[in-house]
This record gives sequence, C-alpha cells and structure tokens, in this order.
Amino acid sequence: MQTALQIIATGLQIGAIYVLFSLGLTLTFGIMRIVNFAHGQFFTLSALVVAVVMPYLATAGLPLPAAFAGSAAAGVAASLLLGLVTYEWGFKRLQRDFVGSFILSLGLILLLEGLYLDVFGGAVRSVPPIIDGTVSVFGASLTSQRLLLCFVAVVLTGLLYAALAMTPVGKALRAASIDHEAAMLQGIPYQRIARHGFMIATLLAAVAGALIAPVSVVTTTLGSDYLIKGFIAVIVGGLGSIPGAIIGSLFIALVESVGGYFFDPSRASIAIFALVMVVLLVRPQGLMGHG
Amino acid sequence: MDNHAILKAGAPAVLAIALAAVLPASYASNLLNWIAIAALIAASLRMVLLFGELNFGTAAFVSIGAYTAGLLTTRFELPFLAAILAAGVMAALVSILFGYVTLRIKGPYFKLIGFAFAEVVRLCCTQIDWLGGNSGMVGIFPPAGLDAWYGTFVMTVVVLMLVGLYAVERSDFGKVLTAIRDNDAVVRTVGIDVHRAKVICFAIACFAAGIAGSLQAFANTVISPGDFGVLLSIMALAYLKVGGEESIFGPVAGAALLILLGSVALSFGAGEHVFYGAAIVLSVLIMPKGIVGMVDGLLRRPGGPAASTPAIREARGQ
Repeated sequence: MQTALQIIATGLQIGAIYVLFSLGLTLTFGIMRIVNFAHGQFFTLSALVVAVVMPYLATAGLPLPAAFAGSAAAGVAASLLLGLVTYEWGFKRLQRDFVGSFILSLGLILLLEGLYLDVFGGAVRSVPPIIDGTVSVFGASLTSQRLLLCFVAVVLTGLLYAALAMTPVGKALRAASIDHEAAMLQGIPYQRIARHGFMIATLLAAVAGALIAPVSVVTTTLGSDYLIKGFIAVIVGGLGSIPGAIIGSLFIALVESVGGYFFDPSRASIAIFALVMVVLLVRPQGLMGHG
Repeated sequence: MDNHAILKAGAPAVLAIALAAVLPASYASNLLNWIAIAALIAASLRMVLLFGELNFGTAAFVSIGAYTAGLLTTRFELPFLAAILAAGVMAALVSILFGYVTLRIKGPYFKLIGFAFAEVVRLCCTQIDWLGGNSGMVGIFPPAGLDAWYGTFVMTVVVLMLVGLYAVERSDFGKVLTAIRDNDAVVRTVGIDVHRAKVICFAIACFAAGIAGSLQAFANTVISPGDFGVLLSIMALAYLKVGGEESIFGPVAGAALLILLGSVALSFGAGEHVFYGAAIVLSVLIMPKGIVGMVDGLLRRPGGPAASTPAIREARGQ
C-alpha cells in the first residue's frame, strides 16, 4: 500500500509537468492545426535563464524565494519573447500547413538547441531549492518543492479551463479550434486569436520550465525529453482536446512511474511507445479526440 | 523515360561514379560516401512523400538495414553482397508489416507513429544483448579486395538505386502514387487499391533505406543505436527540404550541399546543429521548393507559365 501510494504520488508529480506541457501543444494544434515540436525549447529557455539568473540574484543578497521569483519572471519573459519571434517570423506563415510547420519546428529545435549550447555552455546546472523539507501525504513522502510545483500546475490548468469556458478570448479560441472559417464569419479575428493561443501555449511551457529548474538538473536538452512525453500524452489523449491532454499526461506519467519502479526506465519508455502505437491503431483520434 | 531524361540524369551519375573512382582514400572520399548514403536516405523519404506521407520511421529502417548487414557479416559470415541485399529485403519486409497496419490511418497520425516506431526500434537495439546493446557492433568490414574501391562501390549502388527509384516514379505506378497524394478518393473510384499501392511504395522506399543502412555500416565499420535516433530522420528531411522535394535531384543536391557545408561548419566548433537548424528554417521560409526548385524558377523565363502541380507540368510535357 505504502509503495503503491508512493508510486502514484511520483506519477502525479511527473504528470503535473507533462500536463502543462501537453496543454500548450494541444492548444496550438487545436487552433492553428500545426504541431510545434519546438515547444520544448520555450520550456528549456525559461529553465536555463532561471538557472543562470537565480544564483546571481541570490549572491546579490536577495532571499531565495525573491531570487526565484525574479529569475522566473526573467525566464518567462525571455521565453515569451522567443515565442513571439518564432510566431511572427515563422509559424504565422505556416498555419494549417502540417508538414511545413512540422519541418520548421524541427529546424528550430536544432537551431535553438545549438544556440543554447553556445550561449549557456554544456555544463549541467543545478538551482538551490526554494523550500526544503518533505511533506507526508497518507504515508507517501513528497518534497515540498515538488508539491509546490504540482499546486501551481493544478492552479494554472484550472485557470486555463475557466478562461476557455468563460472569457470572450477563451470562447473565441474554442470557436477557432472547432472551425476557424465559421469563426471568422462570426467576426472573430482569427489571426489575433491564433497569436493569443500560441502565446498562451508558450506561457504554459515557460512557467513549467521555471518551475522545473529547482527540482531537476538543467541542461540545454531538458526540453526534448519532456517534449516527447508531452507529445505522446497529447496523442494518447487526442490532438486538440484539452481534457485529453490532461488525462493522457497523467496516464503516461503513471505508466512511467509504475514501469520505472518494477522494471528499468528504458523498458518503461519502450512500453510507452508501444502503447502509443496501439492507441493510434485502435483509436487514431485519441481517447478524447473527435473525428 | 525519354532520351532527354536519360541524358539529363545519366551524365551527372557517370560523373559521380568517376569522381568516386579517381578520388584516393582520404577525408574527401569519406565525405563523398556520406553524401551518397545521405542522398539515398533522403530519396527514400521522398519516395514515400510521393503519395503524400512523411515517413519519420526512416531512421528505424536504416537501422534495420545496418544491423542486418552487421549481424550477417560478423556472426554468420555471409558474403558481402548477400548481406547488403538481405539488409534491404529485411527492411522491406518489416516495412510491409508496419505499413500494412499503419498506412490505413489518414491525417497526422502516420507521421507520429513513425516517430514512435523509430524510438521503439532504437530502444530495443539498446536492450538486446546479441545486437551489442548500447555500444553496438564493431568490425563490419567490406571484403579486403574491395577496400580501395569501396567508395566507387557505394556510389555505384546509390546511383543504381536512385535510377531505380526514378524509374518507379516515372512509371504508371508512380503516377498512381501522385494521384493518391492529390486525391485518393478519385483514385479509389477507378478501381485502384489505394492501400496496396501505398504499402508497395512504402516497401520500395524502405528497401532503399535498408540498403543505405548497410552501406553506412560497411563505410563506418561500427554501428550503435545512437547513430539511428530521430535525428537521422530529421537530417534526411533537411537534405530533402533544402534540396527540393519535387525532383529526384533534390535529395542529392540537398545532401551534397548540407554535408559539404556541415564539414566546413565542423571547423567552427560545436556549431553544426545551429547550422543545420538554420538551413532548414531558412529554406522553409525563403525557398519552399528548395535549391532545385529555385534554380528551376531562375532558369525559366520570367512571365512564362508559373510552375503548378506536378500533374499539370507532366501534361504540358515539361
């Protein structure tokens, strides 16, 4: 029982990051019908900036939480800027061009990963923990740091859900993802809405990156690992579906934590990939997708 | 194909083989080998693109070819040519199984499943002990007599394969594939089995990928799972995209340009990936039809009929 709880708790922790990641992917796909593989690079940039700026602020005499907040703001801002540039100069021209945007994003991955390596160096960085200690939940122990991460992930997901359900922009985003031409006929400014959607997706990745920096080692290839898992989560859940992305993420995270506990991690990866192939064959539109 | 086409394709092919033959074993001849193999992989990718799908499983089929050739040579000591042929056949067999199941799915899913398949094959290779696990296989040598002529051999095989792929593309079957890309429902209405045509085309492309894998195994004499990551598929796509996907010369031009520039970029230090990435991004944004498309456009008189779909150009006899 103890072990089972611990495995589930670990799964949920990993899942929290996957959720933030896959929400962004599914949002961009839903609205622009593109797959942005470079999504992970927004995440990486934000984590890298936090890893560089935070020790700097901390040695300047700021208390740790303040230093983290400052560096996280810087990281998110940097990612948003990158997101805006890649949208305006790249993805904007390739909307609804699945192959073209896919190839562009693969090019961006190589380009950005190389640039990160040049700018930030190949050294593995670690960020001092913001809050120490562990919390025990029903006998399963969690570090407070990771609990904070899960909390932020849940809050952000809730906010996104509420925003999509209630705000005018959210409604416009949903309309555009169902049928962008009909949405335009209703007077929804599709171009502006698409940019909003892309930037919201970037924001989610950037926040996830800033949050992951203190709990994991930060390298220039950090985003790629999460990207593939987040992407698989989106496929399993159904491209373009928000609940699908959440369910898929948690599912993948649980498979990973169970598989990682009973077998070794690379067997768990094989299992995940095999599972995706099965899902795609049986239900190509994903668990929650339609059409 | 008509005489003009044979001449247009034949001259560069003979030139390439001659170049490989006269070049002494050196860094330059290695570079030529890599270009030839990369061009074949990119051409395999292009073959599948004929019916409108992007095969991200290419890396998997290249690795199947490489491992088959490696295993047959080092363990079973099969003759060199048999090992190469077996590599292609093995890749084609696996691709028929894989394609039969996955090519029924339309939409973005085939690309994604190819991605997953490449990862599964790579991870499996790291797990299987008799394939060498993480460290892979060593000592895959071409026969001693062929050592000095290996570059010529690679170039000849690649040229033959490219000619073969081109012949398939120009045949009636190739036209069926283009028609499937343009509108598969119409193809179905005239009684052509779309799914079967796709699987056959996929198998031909993967045969080429398997051959490329075996050539690479013999060229490098070592293979490891790390060589066949998704990056391999991405690179092949880069060659194709930069070169231009509308002509069989596209993959060759792209591979030659990127590998030559890449070897120059190596002297800049770790900038290789930046370089490749920038090349892909720029070519998608600036020249959507690649080098071949751009040169074609420059050669054509301005104001002439604009390049339209391949089918229409075919009808015009261009």
